[in-house]
Amino acid sequence: MSFIADRQSIDDLNLLGKYRAGSIYGLFNKVQTRGGEKLLDEMFREPLTDPSAINQRSGVFLYLQDKDYGFPFSREQFGVVEDYLGAGSAGNILTTMAGVFRRRLMEGLVKDEAYGHIREAVRTTVSFIQTCRNFIGRFDEQEAPELLGDKIRTVKEILDDKRLTGLPREEETGDLSWQKVAVLHHLFVHVLELEMGRLCEILCYLDCCIAVSKVAADRGFSYAHALPEDEYMFHAADLRHPGLDKAVGNTISLDQDRNVLFLTGANMAGKSTFMKSFGIALYLAHMGFPVAARDMVFSVKEGLYSSINVPDNLSMGYSHFYAEVQRVKTIAEEVARSRSLLVIFDELFKGTNVKDAYDATLAVTAAFARYRNCTFIISTHIIEVGETLREEHDNLQFSYLPTVMEGAVPRYTYVLRDGITSDRHGMMIIEQEGILEIITTPQLLPDRALQP
Amino acid sequence: MRFTTDQQTLEDLNIFGKHGVESIYTLFNRTYTRGGAAILEEWFRYPLSDEKIINRRSQTIQYFTDAGTAFPFKTEWFDQAEQYLSNHDERTKLVAGDQTLRDKMTSLVAEDSDYKTIYKGVTSLIEILQCMRQFIGTIDDHAADGYRAEKEEFRVLLAETALQPLLEETQKGKWPYGKIAGYDALLRFRHRDIIRKLLQRIYQLDLYISVARLARERGFAFAEALPGDRHVVRLSGVYHPQVRQAVPNTLEINPGSNFIFLTGANMAGKSTFMKSLGIALFLAHMGLPVPASAMVFSVRDGIYTTINLPDDLGMGASHFYAEVLRVKKIARELSLGKHLFVIFDELFRGTNVKDAYEATVALSAAFAERRDSMFVISTHIIEAGEVLRERCENINFVYLPTRMQGTKPVYTYTLEEGITEDRHGMVIINNEGILEILQQGSPKITKTRKV
Repeated sequence: MSFIADRQSIDDLNLLGKYRAGSIYGLFNKVQTRGGEKLLDEMFREPLTDPSAINQRSGVFLYLQDKDYGFPFSREQFGVVEDYLGAGSAGNILTTMAGVFRRRLMEGLVKDEAYGHIREAVRTTVSFIQTCRNFIGRFDEQEAPELLGDKIRTVKEILDDKRLTGLPREEETGDLSWQKVAVLHHLFVHVLELEMGRLCEILCYLDCCIAVSKVAADRGFSYAHALPEDEYMFHAADLRHPGLDKAVGNTISLDQDRNVLFLTGANMAGKSTFMKSFGIALYLAHMGFPVAARDMVFSVKEGLYSSINVPDNLSMGYSHFYAEVQRVKTIAEEVARSRSLLVIFDELFKGTNVKDAYDATLAVTAAFARYRNCTFIISTHIIEVGETLREEHDNLQFSYLPTVMEGAVPRYTYVLRDGITSDRHGMMIIEQEGILEIITTPQLLPDRALQP
Repeated sequence: MRFTTDQQTLEDLNIFGKHGVESIYTLFNRTYTRGGAAILEEWFRYPLSDEKIINRRSQTIQYFTDAGTAFPFKTEWFDQAEQYLSNHDERTKLVAGDQTLRDKMTSLVAEDSDYKTIYKGVTSLIEILQCMRQFIGTIDDHAADGYRAEKEEFRVLLAETALQPLLEETQKGKWPYGKIAGYDALLRFRHRDIIRKLLQRIYQLDLYISVARLARERGFAFAEALPGDRHVVRLSGVYHPQVRQAVPNTLEINPGSNFIFLTGANMAGKSTFMKSLGIALFLAHMGLPVPASAMVFSVRDGIYTTINLPDDLGMGASHFYAEVLRVKKIARELSLGKHLFVIFDELFRGTNVKDAYEATVALSAAFAERRDSMFVISTHIIEAGEVLRERCENINFVYLPTRMQGTKPVYTYTLEEGITEDRHGMVIINNEGILEILQQGSPKITKTRKV
């Protein structure tokens, strides 16, 4: 079964979307081939839930990152070969010969370009196979992880086919006779159609994996280790947001004895960013992808639900509060189905009055906390809820993001601390902006006087 | 001074709406001609701040509403006339008596589309002119006070000697080529300006009549504009024009109570009420009829609302900071001495309670000092209301009540005096059965593992 993350969660974490600014998909999309991009799409759309499959895949990335061979083809070169081989042809060697001869004649007579195209494609393919041989030759299929080793072995078998070992060398393809072009053309698109297809497929896979491992190397990401679901634990050091350049890392451990993280902090202290980092890391880890953290170990979950930016749908008569209630209900139904989930609530019930928000946050958090097979991250401004929860439940972890005052200017460390904070600087921000002074010391337009 | 507003306000009030969605503009856009729709859009883009112009426009529409005038022209006349007039290339001018035998043969075999356009344009324009003259005669000078000046303009334009042959034209059936050619030169080239001016006036008339029809159908009222320095708004039976079976409310704002402090439970209708106020004010500043039973208002220099402020968390700006910047912007406008109408829905909801409380009290008190502007602020923080009641005497406290029928909240949507402590958040959560859902489910593990 695949890992579940619904529309709202994917939007909250900005995971998918090729053309969305700062999306996590865009961060990893450094592939060269169309096939590689398709594969990346698939991986993003369907994270895994089997720990051994996850670890195998991350093993491949790690191996490739270690070797750092790079992908030897450019987008254009690979595209040409892919199109040429994919076009296919029918018939036997005689009709192919006849066809190529006819085009050769036409070239001489009326400057037809078709022959030139075929000859170019044949030459590019010859050079492509030679590059392939050099590239694949560097891999040791015994030493590589099994998943990768099998594929390398397949490629080597194809390249060792004696019909391909007799190819002319790249330097000799400058003046091929038309007969030779016809024979090679027939070989590539007809005789070896299946083998060449398989070759391209595996190269696309390599492209995708190499691109991902390159991103990991460039950005200093590492690989998470997946554990079976019933371990119910999560640990990560230096966990940060993968899209931010100067993100501050945090260490966080949660397990079934501490399955609820209760997060407080002033405005702008970085609560939302931390929650997003956590959600993104868990999602990427389920894909076997590198994560923006160190030493991450996690037990697999069945899905992820977040409630960070729930839009108010006032035109449909949904107040902000009601939209939130609906979202909580959806998640409650999933949790009650005994699934192991990660649930993220950012500022639960902010669209209502204090007393309601207090009652609702307390009741809902307490009801959720019972599900120790799920992990919850809940942020709120209502610190009083935390005090009450601390007395009644033993499985909550209280953390906060501090604000350090430097004179009148708040500075944010973005480093998690244990406990609950009552930091608040709302009035300070208002004072900094000088709003009250603006109102009380008017600079009137020429034709205006204040009313007595 | 121009009436000012901003994009946030236009979106909050759904003035133009997104493309293809019902908006206040589409509600009023019932014009018969495209020219009329263009003028309407201009009215919407540039509301007025001069009470005399507002009142004249409003009285004109009211006259047509009362008279029940129908638009006397056919819509297709204008489409044909516009298409015809848009081509003013001298070379396409028909030359009288120059129809060659070949032209005649051609027109017998297949119709010349250029000639057809000209033919239709000329005949349509003559129909329009004659219809206009007749229509002018039916307008009652005494009743149509606001329209008198425009009617006079029509009379002058139509009295133009060059137009007399057109007005007296009685041709029936198919018009001869020579006649069309003669009028073509007249309409499209020699007196083009007069024709343009006339058409523009007719589009304006179209707008008056179509808005009047809307006001009649929907029972909208006509607002009376007062000079800005009176600082009063009296609204009776105001409602949201896009809400079905909307409940009307009555409200008076004057310098003695220029600050409205609105409370109420979730879903009690606070946002809708505030939007209906904003829409009525906006429409009134264009001289358009308003969804209310009566309205008197002092013209404002602008209107600013903050109802659906988007949280730009992706950009790193918290909701709270977005609100602070918004307040700052309005504070700047106020400090210029402008007389504004300001609406804030759930001020400072993006922060913790204590901050929200302090900020609401501090800002409300500062705003309330400005008796030449009007403020409508809703909040969940009722404690702020109690403090403000003691500090400022010009705050009008109103609330939208909730009546409980068993466990089901029922909303009256009718304003009452005071501050309410109504809150039904937990009731809504209980009605949705969220806690039961969680209690009935069985966690895979509930007990702590023994270490």
